[in-house]
Amino acid sequence: MRKFLTMAVLLAGTAAATSAFAAGDKIREITLTTRPQAAQPQEFQFVQLIAQEWRKLGLDVKVDVMPWEQMADLVWYNRDKWDTTGWQMVGRPERSDPDELIYNLFHSSTAPKGYNFIGYSNPELDATVEAQRVETDPDKRKELLHKAQSILAADQPNLMLVHPKSTFAFDKTVWNPATVIDQGGIGIKNTWTFISMEPTGDQKDIILNSSDNIQGINPLWISGGTDSWITELIWDRLLRIGPDGLPQPWAAESYEWLDDKTIELTLRDDMKWHDGKPVTVDDVKFSFEAAMGDEAPMYKPFVGNIESIETNGNKITFKLVNPTAAFLTASLAKLNIIPKHVWEPVLADLATKEENAEDYQEETPIGSGPFKFSSWATNEEVVLEANKDHFSPPKAERWILRIVPNVEAAIGMLRSGEINFLADFSGDPKILLDLMEQDGDLEVVSTVDMGFRYVAFNHRRPPFDDAEFRKALSYAINRDLIVGAAFRGFAVKSNSVISPALGFWHNQSVNDFQTGTDVAKSILEDAGYEIKGGALHYPDGVKETLAQ
Amino acid sequence: MLWAVATILFLMFRLMPTNPLAAYIDPTFTEEQQQLLMAKFGLDRPLWEQYFIYLKNLLQGELGDSFFYRQPVGERVLELLPNTLVLTFSSLIVAYLFGIIVGAWLAWKRDSVAERATIPLVLTTRAMPEFWLGMLLLAVFSFTLGWFPAGGTRSPGSEYDGYLALYTSRDFLSHLVLPALTLAIYSQGLPLLLMRSNMLEVMNEDFVTMARIKGLSNWTVVVRHAARNALLPVMTSFAIAVGYQIQGNVVVETVFSWPGLGRELVNAVSASDYPLAQGAFLMIAVVVVLMNLLADLLYSLLDPRVSHA
Amino acid sequence: MHSETARAEPVKDGTILRLIKRIHLPLDDPFALAGLIIYAVFILVAVFADQLATHNPLEILFTADYQLAADLRPGEDGFVLGTTSLGRDIYSQLIYGSRSALLIGITAAFMVAVIGTVVGLLAGYFRGWIDVVLMRAADIAFGIPFLPFVIVLSAFLEPSIWNVVFAMALILWRDTGRVIRSQVLTLRTRAYIDAARVAGSSDLKIVFRHIAPNILPLSFLYGSIAIGWAILTEAAISFLGFGDPETISWGYMLQDAYASQALSTGGYYWFVPPGICIVLVVVAGFFISRGYEEILFPKLKE
Repeated sequence: MRKFLTMAVLLAGTAAATSAFAAGDKIREITLTTRPQAAQPQEFQFVQLIAQEWRKLGLDVKVDVMPWEQMADLVWYNRDKWDTTGWQMVGRPERSDPDELIYNLFHSSTAPKGYNFIGYSNPELDATVEAQRVETDPDKRKELLHKAQSILAADQPNLMLVHPKSTFAFDKTVWNPATVIDQGGIGIKNTWTFISMEPTGDQKDIILNSSDNIQGINPLWISGGTDSWITELIWDRLLRIGPDGLPQPWAAESYEWLDDKTIELTLRDDMKWHDGKPVTVDDVKFSFEAAMGDEAPMYKPFVGNIESIETNGNKITFKLVNPTAAFLTASLAKLNIIPKHVWEPVLADLATKEENAEDYQEETPIGSGPFKFSSWATNEEVVLEANKDHFSPPKAERWILRIVPNVEAAIGMLRSGEINFLADFSGDPKILLDLMEQDGDLEVVSTVDMGFRYVAFNHRRPPFDDAEFRKALSYAINRDLIVGAAFRGFAVKSNSVISPALGFWHNQSVNDFQTGTDVAKSILEDAGYEIKGGALHYPDGVKETLAQ
Repeated sequence: MLWAVATILFLMFRLMPTNPLAAYIDPTFTEEQQQLLMAKFGLDRPLWEQYFIYLKNLLQGELGDSFFYRQPVGERVLELLPNTLVLTFSSLIVAYLFGIIVGAWLAWKRDSVAERATIPLVLTTRAMPEFWLGMLLLAVFSFTLGWFPAGGTRSPGSEYDGYLALYTSRDFLSHLVLPALTLAIYSQGLPLLLMRSNMLEVMNEDFVTMARIKGLSNWTVVVRHAARNALLPVMTSFAIAVGYQIQGNVVVETVFSWPGLGRELVNAVSASDYPLAQGAFLMIAVVVVLMNLLADLLYSLLDPRVSHA
Repeated sequence: MHSETARAEPVKDGTILRLIKRIHLPLDDPFALAGLIIYAVFILVAVFADQLATHNPLEILFTADYQLAADLRPGEDGFVLGTTSLGRDIYSQLIYGSRSALLIGITAAFMVAVIGTVVGLLAGYFRGWIDVVLMRAADIAFGIPFLPFVIVLSAFLEPSIWNVVFAMALILWRDTGRVIRSQVLTLRTRAYIDAARVAGSSDLKIVFRHIAPNILPLSFLYGSIAIGWAILTEAAISFLGFGDPETISWGYMLQDAYASQALSTGGYYWFVPPGICIVLVVVAGFFISRGYEEILFPKLKE
C-alpha cells in the first residue's frame, strides 16, 4: 500500500518539483546504527563519514553506537525499528558460490525471518535469482547473475561500500614465500597454504594467532570463525573449494553429473582415519545422513535438497529433490566426513537426550584430514600435528594456534618470532606494511575479500521504501573517500554483493556511477524532495508517519 | 551471603535487554531452531521458575551450560581458575615482600629525604591504569628488549602434565614475569604504606621504648620488636588484597593474553553468554567472600593488641 | 554533603565558611597542597575547555588538500599533539577529557561519600535493626567483585560514562559506610553527645549537628580516594571496549590509541599524555587523602 502511494507521489513529484511551493513533511531524524570503534574501527569510521555527508543533504542524522549483541537484536529481531545500519558479510569458502549471498539477502521469501532483514522485495529479482539457482550451465547462469546484479544496482537496496582486502603476514625467513597460496576472495590464510607452506629452516611449526577463543572442535557444529580453520584441517570433505574459488576433487577423486538431479562421486582408496581405520563410502554416507537427521541442526539446511544417497563399491550417488547449481560448493564441499565408528554410538546416545551433537566435544577429535588433533589448552592454544599419511601431506610439522586477544601483542609476537604467521589482524594494514619495511623478515599479503561492507536501508520505513531516495543517499557517498579514509586503501569500491574476487560471476558494469553531494541533490530534486531551511522534506503531499 | 550475591547476579543477567540468542544469527538459522535453543536453555519459562531452577542447580554445584561453548560452565571455570590464582598470588607475594621491607625501611628512615621522595612515588604507582602500565612494560621488555614473551602461559606447542608441571616450569615463569610485575607494581603500595604506618605506631608504644632504653641498637629494635608486631595487620590485609586483586586481573589478563577467569568473564559478557558470565562472576565472588572471611578470622586471631597485651 | 549540613543548621551568613573550616582542607602538607593545585589546574582546564581547545574533539578533520587529517604527528599542520587515526585533534581531546574525568570523578566521589556517610551515620547512631540491615547490605556489597560488576552493568546498559558512577554508587559506599560507622560508634559515647541528648536534642539534630561535622573529614578522605577509583575504573572499562565512544574521556583516548596500534606505530604522543593526565588527577586525590589522614590520625606524623 505504502509502496503504491509513494509511486504515485513519485510520478506527481517530478511535475511538482518545478512548482516552487510543493513540499511534504520534513523528514524525521534518521538513525544510523554502528558498532563501537573498539570492535569495528572501520565501520565506525565510515559511518561517521557517511553521516557527515548525509547531513549535507539536509537530513537530520543520529549515529547510534551499540555493541554487536544489541545491534543484532535490533536489526534482526526488531525489523521495523531501525532506519539504517552499518553491516558486513564475511567471506567464507562456501560463499564462493554466489547463490548464498544473492538469494538469501534479496529474495522476498527471506524478508520476514531470514537474511533479507532490510525487507527488500522485487518480483523481477525474485524470478531471476530463482532461475539461476536451478541453471547448471555456467554461462547461462552467469547471464542471469549479471542481470540480478543490474537490477540491484538500479534499486540500490543497500548502500554498498567496499570489498575490504584481508591482510595477513608471515615470517619469510621461516616459510618459503613461493609456497604460500593466495586463495581468491579469502587470502593467504587458508587450508591450501597450511598444507603447502614449506619451512626454510629448523622452525617447522606454523604458529599463528587468533583473537577469538575456540568454541569447539566439532565436525557437526558450525561454531566460531576461527573454529572453522581447525575443522577444515582435521576433517576432509568430498570436494574442496580451490584457490580459484571453484570446487575441485578432494576426498572424492572424481565426480560426474548423471542427470541434472543425480551426481556420482568416486571416493579415494588411500584414506585413513587418524586412529588408523580406513575411510569407506559407508562413512561418507553416514556423514551426510547425520546432517540430515536432527542432531546437527546447523548442517541440516545444506543437505535439505538430498533425496537419497546410494553406495556401490567405492562410488557414492546423490539424488536431489531439485536441480541445484550450488550443490557442489554449498553441500559437497561443506560437509565434514566423519568416522562412523566414532559417531554412530555417540549420535545414538544423543538421540535419547535433550542435547544434540553440537554439545558433544570429543576428547580427541578424529578425522582423516591433513592435520590431526594433538592438544588444546583452554583459551590459550590448539596444537595440530601433520598427518604424514594423508594423500596431500603438509610440509610443516605442527600447526599451533595461539589465542592473542590483543592486537598490539600479536604484532609484537610476530616480530619476536613467538608467532610466525599473522592469521588474524583487525588493525590498520598500513602498520603491517611499515613493519615489513623496517623488519626485513616479514611478508605482507593483501587480498580482495569476497565479503563486503555496506550500510543497510530499512525498506519497511519510509522514505527508504523509495528507490530514488536510496539512490540519492547512496550516490552522496564518494567511495574513494571511504576506501582511503576508513580502509587506508585496503579495499576496493563495490556496488555488487558478488565480489570482483569472484571474477567469473561479478558484473563489472554496475560499478560506473557518479557520486557527490550535487549528484545526490539533483536526484532528490528530480524525485520531488526539497530542501527548505536547510532541512530535507518529502515530496508534495507525503506525510511523515514515523516522527517521534 | 553467597546466596544474596547469586540472586543479584541472576536478576542482573535476566533483566538484560538484549536477546540472549542474538549472538547466534546465521542465514541458515530458522525460527524453529531458535525456539529449540530457547527451550534448551530454559529461557522459555517464567522468570521465577528459571530462578528456582538456577538456585537448585547452584546448590548442586551445577552452573549450567555455556551458550557459546556448549560445555558445562563449571568445567571451564575450574579449568581457568588456577591460572588466575597463580597470577594473583605470585604478584601479591612479590608486592608484599617488597612492600613490607620497603615500608619498614621507610618507617625507620622517617622524615628523611628518601622517605619524602618515596611516598609520592608509591602513590603514583597506584594511580596508573593497570592496562597502561602493562602495555608500557610489554612495549619495553617484550617488543623492544625481547627479554620476556608477550603473552600466554607457555611457549607454543609445549605440553605439560597437569598444572603443577606447568607452574614449576621455567617456561611458565618467564611468561609469568611481566603480568605479575604489572600487578605487583600496582599492588605494592598498600602493604608498603600499611607497614610503614603500623611501624610508626608500634615504635611509639611502650615496649619498643623500653627496648630502646635497654640499650638495644636501633636496627635490632626495628626488626625484632617493631616489625614483628607491625607485620600482623599487614598479613591480614593480604587476604583482602587477594579479593581485590582477583577483580583487577580482568584487565591485565587481556593485555597479556593470560587464559584466566577475568578474560573469560569479559568474553562471556561480550557474547551475552549468561551462564558462563554468571559462573565466572560467581567464582570470582566466591574467592572474594572467602578471602574476606579469612581476613576477619585472621584479624580476630592476630590482633596485635591482643598479642602483646 | 552540603545539603545534609544545611538541613541541620539554619542557613545564615558564614555557613559556607564554617563548612570549609569543618572539612579542614589540608593546606599545611606540601603534597596535599600539590594535590589541590593539580585539581585547581584541571578544574580550570575543564571550565575553560571551549577556549583552550583548538578543535571540536569529535570532529573528523581534513587537511587543506581535502585529505583526511589522520595520524599526523605533533606539530604537523598546526595540530599541537597530532591527530588520531580518525582525523581528530589529540590536544583538544585531552582538554575535553578533563571534563569527563572531573565529572565522573567528582560525582562518583560525591555519591560514594554521601551514601557511605549516611549509611555509616544511621547504622552507627541508631544501632539496632537499622545497623544490622545496613551492615548486612555492606557485607553483600563487599562480596560483589567491583570491576566485574561494572563490566556486566556497562554491557547491558547503554554505553555511558555514568555507568561507572552508577556502579560505584551501588557498591563502593561499603568502605566509607563501615569506617564511618565505627567512628560514629566511638563518637556517640562521648560526653557532649550525652549532654546534648540530656538537653533534649532530637536524634536527627544530634546526628547532623554534633556527629556529622566530626566525620566530615573522614568522608572527604574517602571521597578523594573515590575520585581516583572512578577515573581508573572508567579507563579500564573503556579499555575493555565497554566505554562510551560519543564522550571523550582519557580512558576512551587510551582505548582509541590502543585499538589503532599507536604503540606499534610509535604514537607515544597519543598514548602517553592521557595516561599522564590520569596519573596526575588520581595521584592528586591520593595526596589530598594523605593530608586528611595526617589530620585524622596525627600519630602518623610524629
